[in-house]
Amino acid sequence: MSQNFRLDKGGLIDRSKSISFKFNGKNYSGYEGDTLASALIANGVHLVGRSFKYHRPRGFFGAGVDEPYAMVQLIRDNESIPNVRATEQELFEGLEAKSVNCWPNVDFDIGAINNFLNRFFPAGFYYKTFMWPRSFWYKVYEPIIRKAAGFGVVSANHDQERYEHKYEYCDLLVTGSGPSGLASAYAAAQNGARVILAEDKSRFGGSLLTSEVSIGNQSGHEWAENIISELKSMPNVTVKNRSQVFGYYDHNMLVMSERISDHLPKTNKYTPKQRLWYIRAKEVLISSGSIERPLVFGNNDTPGVMLSSAAKEYLKIFGVLVGKKPLIFTNNDSGYETAIEFKKNGIDPIVLDTRKDPSSEIVNEAKSLNIDIKFSYVVVAAKGYKKVKSADIAKISEDKKQLSQIENINCDCICVSGFWTPTIHLASQSGNKTKFNEEIDAFIPGQSKQNETVLGSAKGIFTLEETLKTSFEKGSELSKKITNKESNISVPSVVEKKHTNHDKFWCVPLPEGKNYKRFLDFQNDVSVSDVELALREGYRSIEHVKRYTTLGMATDQGKTSNLNGLQLVSDVENKVVPQVGHTTFRPPYTPVSIGAIVGREIGKHSKPTRKSPMHEWHEKNNAVFVDAGVWLRPRYYKQGNENLFEGSKREAKNVRQNVGVCDVTTLGKIDIKGPDAAELLNRVYTNAWLKLPVGKARYGVMLREDGIVMDDGTTTRISENHYHMTTTTAQAANVLSHLEYYLQLVWPELNVNVVSSTEQWAGAAIAGPKSRDVLQKLFPDLDVSNEGLPFMGYVEGNLFGVNAKIFRISFSGELAYEVNVESDNGNFMWEKIMEIGKEFNIQPYGTEALSTLRIEMGHVAGSELDGRTIPYDNSLEGLVSKKKDFIGKRSLSKSAYVAPDRQKVVGVVPLDKKTSIPEGSYIVKDAKAKLPNPKLGHVSASCWSVEHDNPFSLAIIKDGKNMIGQKLFAMSPLKNKTIPVEIVSSHYVDPKGERVRS
Amino acid sequence: MSLLILKIYMQKYSAFNLIKNALTGHKDWEVAWKNPTPKTEYDVIIIGGGGHGLATAYYLAKEHNITNVAIIEKGWIGGGNVGRNTTIVRSNYMHDENGLFSEFGMDLWRSMSQELNFNVMFSPRGIINLAHSDAQMNAFSRRGNSMKLNGIDAVLLNREEVKKLIPMADFSENVRFPIFGGLMQPSAGTARHDGVAWGYARQADSMGVDIIQHCEVTGFDVDNGKIKGIQTSKGNIKAKKIGLCVAGSTNILAEMLNMRIPIETHLLQACVSEPIKPILDHVVTFGAGHFYVSQSDKGEMVMGGDLDGYNSYAQRGNLPTLQHVLTEGIAMLPFLSKLKMLRTWGGIMDMSMDGSPIIDKTHIEGLYLNCGWCYGGFKATPASGWTFAHTIAQDRPHKLNAGYSLNRFSTGHLLDEKGLGTKTWIS
Amino acid sequence: MLHIKCPHCGLRSQNEFSYGGDATVKRPELNKEVSDQDWDNFVYLRKSPRGKHLELWQHISGCRQWFKVERDTLTHEIFRTLKANEEI
Repeated sequence: MSQNFRLDKGGLIDRSKSISFKFNGKNYSGYEGDTLASALIANGVHLVGRSFKYHRPRGFFGAGVDEPYAMVQLIRDNESIPNVRATEQELFEGLEAKSVNCWPNVDFDIGAINNFLNRFFPAGFYYKTFMWPRSFWYKVYEPIIRKAAGFGVVSANHDQERYEHKYEYCDLLVTGSGPSGLASAYAAAQNGARVILAEDKSRFGGSLLTSEVSIGNQSGHEWAENIISELKSMPNVTVKNRSQVFGYYDHNMLVMSERISDHLPKTNKYTPKQRLWYIRAKEVLISSGSIERPLVFGNNDTPGVMLSSAAKEYLKIFGVLVGKKPLIFTNNDSGYETAIEFKKNGIDPIVLDTRKDPSSEIVNEAKSLNIDIKFSYVVVAAKGYKKVKSADIAKISEDKKQLSQIENINCDCICVSGFWTPTIHLASQSGNKTKFNEEIDAFIPGQSKQNETVLGSAKGIFTLEETLKTSFEKGSELSKKITNKESNISVPSVVEKKHTNHDKFWCVPLPEGKNYKRFLDFQNDVSVSDVELALREGYRSIEHVKRYTTLGMATDQGKTSNLNGLQLVSDVENKVVPQVGHTTFRPPYTPVSIGAIVGREIGKHSKPTRKSPMHEWHEKNNAVFVDAGVWLRPRYYKQGNENLFEGSKREAKNVRQNVGVCDVTTLGKIDIKGPDAAELLNRVYTNAWLKLPVGKARYGVMLREDGIVMDDGTTTRISENHYHMTTTTAQAANVLSHLEYYLQLVWPELNVNVVSSTEQWAGAAIAGPKSRDVLQKLFPDLDVSNEGLPFMGYVEGNLFGVNAKIFRISFSGELAYEVNVESDNGNFMWEKIMEIGKEFNIQPYGTEALSTLRIEMGHVAGSELDGRTIPYDNSLEGLVSKKKDFIGKRSLSKSAYVAPDRQKVVGVVPLDKKTSIPEGSYIVKDAKAKLPNPKLGHVSASCWSVEHDNPFSLAIIKDGKNMIGQKLFAMSPLKNKTIPVEIVSSHYVDPKGERVRS
Repeated sequence: MSLLILKIYMQKYSAFNLIKNALTGHKDWEVAWKNPTPKTEYDVIIIGGGGHGLATAYYLAKEHNITNVAIIEKGWIGGGNVGRNTTIVRSNYMHDENGLFSEFGMDLWRSMSQELNFNVMFSPRGIINLAHSDAQMNAFSRRGNSMKLNGIDAVLLNREEVKKLIPMADFSENVRFPIFGGLMQPSAGTARHDGVAWGYARQADSMGVDIIQHCEVTGFDVDNGKIKGIQTSKGNIKAKKIGLCVAGSTNILAEMLNMRIPIETHLLQACVSEPIKPILDHVVTFGAGHFYVSQSDKGEMVMGGDLDGYNSYAQRGNLPTLQHVLTEGIAMLPFLSKLKMLRTWGGIMDMSMDGSPIIDKTHIEGLYLNCGWCYGGFKATPASGWTFAHTIAQDRPHKLNAGYSLNRFSTGHLLDEKGLGTKTWIS
Repeated sequence: MLHIKCPHCGLRSQNEFSYGGDATVKRPELNKEVSDQDWDNFVYLRKSPRGKHLELWQHISGCRQWFKVERDTLTHEIFRTLKANEEI
């Protein structure tokens, strides 16, 4: 198919490069520099999709980011991408696109039946029906509605594209490269400021690309090109096209998405598709221009009805005619620019101007070109279903209420211009209190909230001369503040056509007896009657109107609909627009790729992974890893076909019988130094610390101020004023911050310093009756006897030339030592331990065996210290000093905490000694009680006791102290389990703690 | 009696009436609620025209026959968190107090559309909390078993079962936190948030409740420890009883009363993608972080996660928080990467010091407090309204909200579902 | 993203900091009698104004110092930052 609507010459496309592409299975061709929209229009294709609710035919309405209709499914490099705007998608060789929201196809769409029933589907109809029978909403009605809604289709597979982030600081960020953006960026750049100039489209220049003006002695377009190339050559300027600044956040942080490969057939493996820029700017110049407003009339959503500025853009940039019998419907001078452009290209337009007798340069020019102009005329309704075929037009009375002389005229497109709406989104996001400007019937920025300055038509300035003048000034003034430099720039002279006032008229009344749909929101099918209905029903706040009708909630976010909606509400409610107020502008200005927002933190890299220095050894030795926060820890070391249960049991048993070694590098470690270190510990921990001798460790529990256990661990006195604290893996960062909080803010008088040393040390716990033998061989010169290195003792040693810290502490309940060496030596230490331990049958053990060992010993850990328990609950009351004060002590006297039947940790053994009790089960008295069944407490941890060879669990239950010996039930209804159990002491192994001291 | 008459005269919403009205161009629909000027005195004033306030007024009228009631709303009704949430309705709580309260609410949700004659589109599409470790599976078991023992439906899913329900989640090798399984509450789901506010408003209005919008409370009249009325931008209004239902604004009003409440106000953002054809049927939450998502009837993926992390009344957040939330989103549902984020918004949350709400009397006679919903306010709307109405009408808490007392912070009967304590900004 | 001036390091982006809430909370002194009410107020009551708020932040990815920030909770504007030992 040839490009019947392409002009022979003109436009900024590269006619030497023909591009073939496919739309809805048909082959077409366009040129390099086309958008999918311009290429389709060049080929005479106007039907691209179906509307959201009524499935009415949809064509093109705009030529850029404001486009409400032309959403397509794009196929690129075997990936199908939903909701791509054809007006923004640049053409590339082999591009393939399809219409969405239609079945079986866009030409014949079954869903269009909704259109013929549309009177039954007014705004909010779904609130009023589909209520009976009760289950039908979810089972019958909703699935149908869900299927009918939505636009594109997304496949479940992973995104193959790459997205990157960049963080940038600059003096001035200029958003938009139209006349105001270029002038201000240029002035600032000349003053030596670091400038970023961002343009959303592929071409720089904004309105200068389509306007008939001259600047100095150049055309506007030439001037823009020269400025841009000069800016590009300056080292202090970054110029970015295809880059949309979409959000203005706190403290002048703006975010921009740069489309790097969207316009290319395929992304190279390492080239990102998009890059997200976080830009912290000292000054922000918003030169985002304005968007033309539609006029509202019957069937104004028919394909072929579009913004007059878009028609001009298709002509001037793409050399494409949106129609050959154009009707221009305008309430201001802008429509004439489009009309003249048609005329210059040999097409005779008809202009309907709602104004009675406007006089201006451009109207006169149109007259002199013999363009057919009808004043005080309006389009009553577009005719044609899938494309405009004609229009009913009429004369309109001066009060704009009466239509007369209705006639039908042939046309194949209707270009509408309802004046301009400044793009105030970024300013509003910054916090700028926008104000309504009666002269232009639109909101403009008011007082700056952050460092935003709005320029040009975004501020409601519609003459080029004033735009350039003020933009040069602002660019210069703001940059001078930063750089203290000022270059002299003379503002070039401007030749432009002066416009006269627009007509405030925006909505054509319905002719007698006609009930045309007049659309405000083109994507969401919100019509004038919908808004009227909402108001009639009492949804009168603009937010209520928006939510009830979905006005402005489509993917174009109401860029073309919001203001007309406001006008309607103010008309019906007899208010002025500023009283109605607009809904809040929030980022993003236009939809942004979620992939780009997230960047590279995907897949395995979605969170950091921390590994111990011995990680590789674990890997080589068949460790099965488990996530412990962001750490990876060996869970067990798989031998043969062992499963977790078998492997961990073997490892735990070997600890009880021989000796095992466990990587404890992940434990938090905090180095504490200073003359008041002991005092700090004494205040932080619940037990006494002032008398701990050098060379001794002590177990401690710390609370939050609310009395809840925060963490536990051992702390060792290395020397007079030097302590080594350990924390749990999970709480390491919190505990450090906690100590710093008290030292810096609450007790600054304490002379103590704390610093994290978690990553400085690699740790190995050697546990089991033969651990002393291993230790002796590791440190032959050291006295490791029970007297030389007693329980909770600490000594430094030399491990084959490597400095080591040796702590005699135990988590397993066995005789045990923890050896720490500097991280770099971790692997060396580990291999030595394994080598030397061989003769004692040493085996590495993972976290699962570690849990087994601690559970059967009755050592509480994370599953009991869950942020809801006090020391008593964990049988730690013996560690709570009665004599001294400490963090959280005062909270322990709360009535719930001292209640006689307070919960307490106990042991639980199934009566059959066989059935394991699932963790998370509850202990109940009566397994058959009716629901809700009162719970005594929950099973916090379960293991297979290797000592007793039967299941054993810990539970925290009400009145635990007095429950020992009771026969109760453990229930896990999730697993359909009810297990008769006996409550026993939580210390199931070595209750007197003799082994650790042996 | 008067109640009954009003009921009969209220225009009914039904398919029949929709068709009937269609034939007359929808000209005859009545207002959903009126726009009255305030009377000089009411039996009860509810401050806050959000979901909870509207529901409270409705249940005061319906359950307690108290109809001389005004709702005083500073802005427009439903403009707070009832209109800014991610529409999730559930009762999957571990603590008995929270579980039983919420499950009572689930019953109200199930019949809400019919009761209010307003389709609130309650969809029991099920919520799945994903678990990424055995430890998390155990924690979920604890919660799920508690639910079951309280008579709430819960199912523990293994990896394969999760895969059957949400095959589009990341079950690949290239994943940081593999899915181990999940906890599902099949009867949980979503509801149309605005519809809930409007449905309660319409019925409350029909029973005689005055809904007064754009009316700001500027002060309280307290005499001898007893509430007498309020001062507003529309004049003074007397009342025998006053209920505060103002969520994130509680502290501002409490200050006028010289009261201090153990809540802080924080900012929570949410966002939606562009609409796509149905791909996700359930509500799903990520276990290795904080992210939740469901697909709306319109086709948008509705997503939320962490608080912005500092006290705020701004209703507008910053992108890094959303970046963090969406990072977890893609980690869970990789296809999200291919969508575009369409709209973001922020709500201000009344974060209580143990993460659970407060529905109680206060030390001022006739003044009642309803706050501290954190980010769980929407699902609680009916149960909150029902129990608050009871508390106000009977001047004592119902047993369902007895646990939500103000003095639990003194007694130590805290309801900390997450075990995070008083750092309200850590979510 | 907030831009916070650490009194020790200078202006940095928010992601280097962690939040610490109301800076006016005063912990009762150790070993001194304190009533239940005063203690509970210390543990559970925080200022949460709409407007100026004096709050704590810690420069966790920098100097690790806790410091005070005076910030507007409605606009997020930061008026000033103070070292831990400085008063407004």
